[in-house]
Amino acid sequence: MGSVKRKSVDEGPSNYTSPPHKQHKDNDNGLTETTEEGVACVHDVSYPENYVTVPRRSNTDQDSKPAKEFPFTLDPFQSEAINCLNVGESVMVSAHTSAGKTVVASYAIAMSLRNKQRVIYTSPIKALSNQKYREFKEEFSDVGLMTGDVTIEPNASCLVMTTEIWRSMQYKGSELTREVAWIIFDEVHYMRDRERGVVWEESIVMAPKNARFVFLSATVPNAKEFADWVAKVHQQPCHIVYTDYRPTPLQHYLFPTGGDGLYLVVDEKGKFREDSFQKALNALVPVNEKKDSGKFQKGLVNGRAGEDSDIFKMVKMIIQRQYDPVIIFSFSKRECEFLAMQMAKMDLNDDDEKVNTETIFWSAMDMLSDDDKKLPQVSNMLPLLKRGIGVHHSGLLPILKEVIEILFQEGLIKCLFATETFSIGLNMPAKTVVFSNVRKFDGDKFRWLSSGEYIQMSGRAGRRGIDDRGVCILMVDEKLEPSTAKMMVKGSADCLNSAFHLSYNMLLNQLRCEDGDPENLLRNSFYQFQADRAIPDLERQMKGLQEERDSIHIEEEDSLENYYSLLEQYKSLKKDVRDIIFSPRYCLPFLQPGRLVCVRCTSSDESTPTFSVEDHVTWGVIVNFQKVKSLSEDDVDKSPEDANYTVDVLTRCTVSKDELSKKTIKIIPLKEPGEPAVVSVPISQIDNLSSVRLIIAKDLLPLENRENTLKKVSEVLSRFSKQGIPLLDPEEDMKVQSGSYRKAVRRIEALENLFEKHEVAKSPLIEQKLKVLHKKKQITAQIKSIKKSMRSSSALAFKDELKARKRVLRRLGYVTRDDVVELKGKVACEISSADELVLTELMFNGVLKDIKIEEMVSLLSCFVWQEKLQDAQKPREELDMLFTQLQDTARRVAKVQLECKVEIDVEGFVSSFRPDIMEAVYSWAKGSKFYEIMEITQVFEGSLIRGIRRMEEILQQLILAAKSIGEVELEAKFEEAVSKIKRDIVFAASLYL
Amino acid sequence: MRGMELSLNHTQKLRLQRALESLESLSSGTNSNASVTVADSIPVNQEDGVLKGHGTTDLDGEVVATVCGVIERVNKLVYVRTLRARYKPEVGDIIVGRVLEVAPKRWRLEINFSQDAVLMLSSMNLPDGIQRRRTAVDELNMRSIFEENDVVSAEVRDFMRDGSLQLQARSQKYGKLERGQLLTISPYLVKRRKQHFHHLEKYGIDLILGCNGFIWVGEHVEVKDDMVEDEHTPTKPDAKSNKSQISQSLEEQEQTYTPLETRQYICRIANAIRVLSTLGFSITLDVILEILDLSTKNGIDIHEMLGAEFCVLVAEKEAERRSLSTRKKR
Repeated sequence: MGSVKRKSVDEGPSNYTSPPHKQHKDNDNGLTETTEEGVACVHDVSYPENYVTVPRRSNTDQDSKPAKEFPFTLDPFQSEAINCLNVGESVMVSAHTSAGKTVVASYAIAMSLRNKQRVIYTSPIKALSNQKYREFKEEFSDVGLMTGDVTIEPNASCLVMTTEIWRSMQYKGSELTREVAWIIFDEVHYMRDRERGVVWEESIVMAPKNARFVFLSATVPNAKEFADWVAKVHQQPCHIVYTDYRPTPLQHYLFPTGGDGLYLVVDEKGKFREDSFQKALNALVPVNEKKDSGKFQKGLVNGRAGEDSDIFKMVKMIIQRQYDPVIIFSFSKRECEFLAMQMAKMDLNDDDEKVNTETIFWSAMDMLSDDDKKLPQVSNMLPLLKRGIGVHHSGLLPILKEVIEILFQEGLIKCLFATETFSIGLNMPAKTVVFSNVRKFDGDKFRWLSSGEYIQMSGRAGRRGIDDRGVCILMVDEKLEPSTAKMMVKGSADCLNSAFHLSYNMLLNQLRCEDGDPENLLRNSFYQFQADRAIPDLERQMKGLQEERDSIHIEEEDSLENYYSLLEQYKSLKKDVRDIIFSPRYCLPFLQPGRLVCVRCTSSDESTPTFSVEDHVTWGVIVNFQKVKSLSEDDVDKSPEDANYTVDVLTRCTVSKDELSKKTIKIIPLKEPGEPAVVSVPISQIDNLSSVRLIIAKDLLPLENRENTLKKVSEVLSRFSKQGIPLLDPEEDMKVQSGSYRKAVRRIEALENLFEKHEVAKSPLIEQKLKVLHKKKQITAQIKSIKKSMRSSSALAFKDELKARKRVLRRLGYVTRDDVVELKGKVACEISSADELVLTELMFNGVLKDIKIEEMVSLLSCFVWQEKLQDAQKPREELDMLFTQLQDTARRVAKVQLECKVEIDVEGFVSSFRPDIMEAVYSWAKGSKFYEIMEITQVFEGSLIRGIRRMEEILQQLILAAKSIGEVELEAKFEEAVSKIKRDIVFAASLYL
Repeated sequence: MRGMELSLNHTQKLRLQRALESLESLSSGTNSNASVTVADSIPVNQEDGVLKGHGTTDLDGEVVATVCGVIERVNKLVYVRTLRARYKPEVGDIIVGRVLEVAPKRWRLEINFSQDAVLMLSSMNLPDGIQRRRTAVDELNMRSIFEENDVVSAEVRDFMRDGSLQLQARSQKYGKLERGQLLTISPYLVKRRKQHFHHLEKYGIDLILGCNGFIWVGEHVEVKDDMVEDEHTPTKPDAKSNKSQISQSLEEQEQTYTPLETRQYICRIANAIRVLSTLGFSITLDVILEILDLSTKNGIDIHEMLGAEFCVLVAEKEAERRSLSTRKKR
């Protein structure tokens, strides 16, 4: 990747006047200077391969005067980035949220406007676009806005839009693609978003060749990799300006629940204080002992009887210490509201502020109709706000959210309860940030907060120019390792990894235009770039392994290998036999209490297998057996014979505890020292069942009872020591009658004969030799797997999936065999806000044509609603019928996909369409008031509004689709549907506009 | 007989008839009763929602064709695909057109559609390849890009709200076409393909099969990479560059003399297309090349390619080819 230039900050901008090739020479030395602490930034350039640096035309008269002057002195990273802009090269700025990246963006805009070029600013979120639009509009005036909801001045020189809009403009070949000189991607780290990240990749890959970019991103460790990619895809140099710098340093505190104070764990210099960390943990009153630890901290919400809740104490303390304003982050909307309710007794605003709050609030609410003003969410919010307490999450009405943002910026909210969404976007800092929880639910489990998330959220702490330091408080309710805490608080930011995936809409759009080629897009994707990059690393690994393998020499390797493979066969046969005998069908009747069983010992080290014919076994007594409850409820209909069972066995064990107070129990041979204990083992660990049964004590809790039973076991063992313990005969006793069993037994016998005859078997060092051989085999297997992953990464990523998806499109008649997009495909091209295949199928099957407008709108709501409601009522019959139709269509589409080898979970796909808001939307389309539909459903107001807005987007796309097939009536129907849902509070304009 | 005006002698007539008959037998049964004329009612099952697409309308509860053509059905959608009507554009089609008028910020193009297409100045890449807004100067210089009667290739971009058609030139490979022939044939003969631009390396010829039935056969032009151009050519003041352009174009004229051989190939290919079009065979790259080979193999002169004998030969060849391909399928 060309040569790399590293340049430190203090060389200053003057260096830029020297011709680039001169800098090249410096680069080869590979110098990296570190500059003064704190303010340092790293500057780096990625050049595309074979890039010839062309001496820039020297338009000095322009350069001498910056496009925009700032009233404050720029931070080094800002001026560094601006220098890059001045020479007309792309730049990626990676810095903390509060560091002031916007300066770079606004300079880029000013510069483009000066040069009479167009500039696009894209952001991931509509709300953020609105805010930025207002900000830029005030400054530059020639600014337009395009989001899914509104379009203002689309012909302005500077356009603010969401990334999705920009992508679709590129597909449509808007004139912007020929006029835009600079494209600013804000919050570009959104690219790792699982669902939407791919939009960034598409937009960047398809961007016009001669455009330049400004990428603004949170701190990402692999910024260089990203820049390399951009340089490669667009054949232009791309600068990286990276800084860890925070304008206000942070202090990190712990607040143990039930405790009474704050403990400084990381000071503003970034030093981790072990001692106070330990103190904090000791102060932790374990809540888990009394209450079930299932739900999120009860103590946090309820507080112990009579006492104030922790959150109340905490806020009180913050106010007393004048650490306000404070943002308290929690990870669910409900929790957010619960916590705010705890503040009922608190009043943080004086009378003047109360009046101000009320004025602002009502002037904002003025645009609502009288009915909407009476919505419970609106009327309940004001008293809270007047006391200086706010709530901010995606479930709020958009207008309320904006009022709260404004109030917060005005300093009228001292204490804001927010969800993670508040941490991205506009600069809205507080002095203090509190994390109400250290764990976050990520869809399937509660996990620790990642350091990246911590960094993002703590970025809100510390107001530049007002606070000398920001405060971060972590509320902990459970013990955590210092290393975990350190990882979280001081860890590095998350990597920017590609979340590329294919979609049908993308494929169709690519196929539709003559130059478009989905493979081309794949080849240029960041995903492919990252995969290619991994190859040298894999190669190195493989070389190492190969050397290691070749260095292993074994005498008589051939015969040893022969022996080895015999052993393997023997083992697998044994296993087969065992599997037959111990299938629950045969063995369950014999798992009575008191039966002696032969149990395999827990080997101390799993990785070293044994190579003797004998297994490592011990004996124990069955106490009980039970069915294992499977995690998913779907297994209920499984027959009892297929279920898994565990058997409780009394045997000798060693019990050891590790630091985390987790018990690990190991089964050991009877003669070794250890405690007698009852362990439950899976059936697979049982080796043999004997025909002997002991009478065991009823109560095995007392130690001596267990000891005695084990003694009995030893006694039996010694009695039978000569002829061996009589075992249950599989055929005679257990009535195993299966051909495969007999076959396997015969083969085992044959193998046993072979073992005896085998020459190597007698050699003394057979054990060790086999171990070495085993290791060699393992290495070979590793090499094989590396080779495989190398092959898959050097091949085009997603190649198979691409093929499969094209097959689906062909099968459903969207494209022909020569990849020419057919009528259906053209319709699906237009639909980007919902599942394009299912919706297109519905349309072509005439479903949308027959039904009433309200029903159609209600049906569309299933496409936008993904949240699962616990006790949502079933929609009325007509709607339910429609929903069934939708499900049938979805199932058919999913099945076709499955048949074409696209990986898809058919039922999961079908159930991703939720009928939960059908009723509400139905009555909304009928003309109900918003408060009326809120009574029908249990969802958050904000979520419902978002859903309806997205439906309007889909309807607009459907209008285009209907037009393209020439179905006039349907088109009119969609138009009417739009007019029916687009009204009142749901489409109330943003306050920022 | 498809309006052919060829003077065939008796044997040729017989041969042609036989070839056409065999062709008909091969294609019979596919669309035999699916063709309609205006006001024919289209049989549909009214019970379940029918989507009435292009070329249909609702008349007293009956679906009626408004154009002549072939009925096409996609699931519940019914529409009529016209055969010998004007071109009906679809978004993404590659077309070739002729400039009718230079208007404010736009060119109006004849593309065989029911109205003129519009190519906005902003939908064109500027010759300098710089990303910028179009200025008044650009507007004044529009004639230096395209003039009246220039032949241009472009892509259908969008229909405006008022129903007018917008074109665009996505990249440098679109634009003015020079040194070649423009052929106009019935649009239905050109099927939509992944590729409409063809570079025949063997002959040094560019072939553009416009979906609107305008076909361009011309000398091959290397597509300039605008990226490189931008990197290397510093922009000069406008007046100066204009002057240099003029002087360059004089030199160019001498340099860009098209060799006789290439010109012959252009004519040969053009005639091959003409023959195919008179016979009403659909036109694809493969077929064109086949006819080209046929003509050279049989030593037929370019001007003879439009004669009766060759026409019959082509028909026979096509009949043979199709029967081969259908047999293969079976």
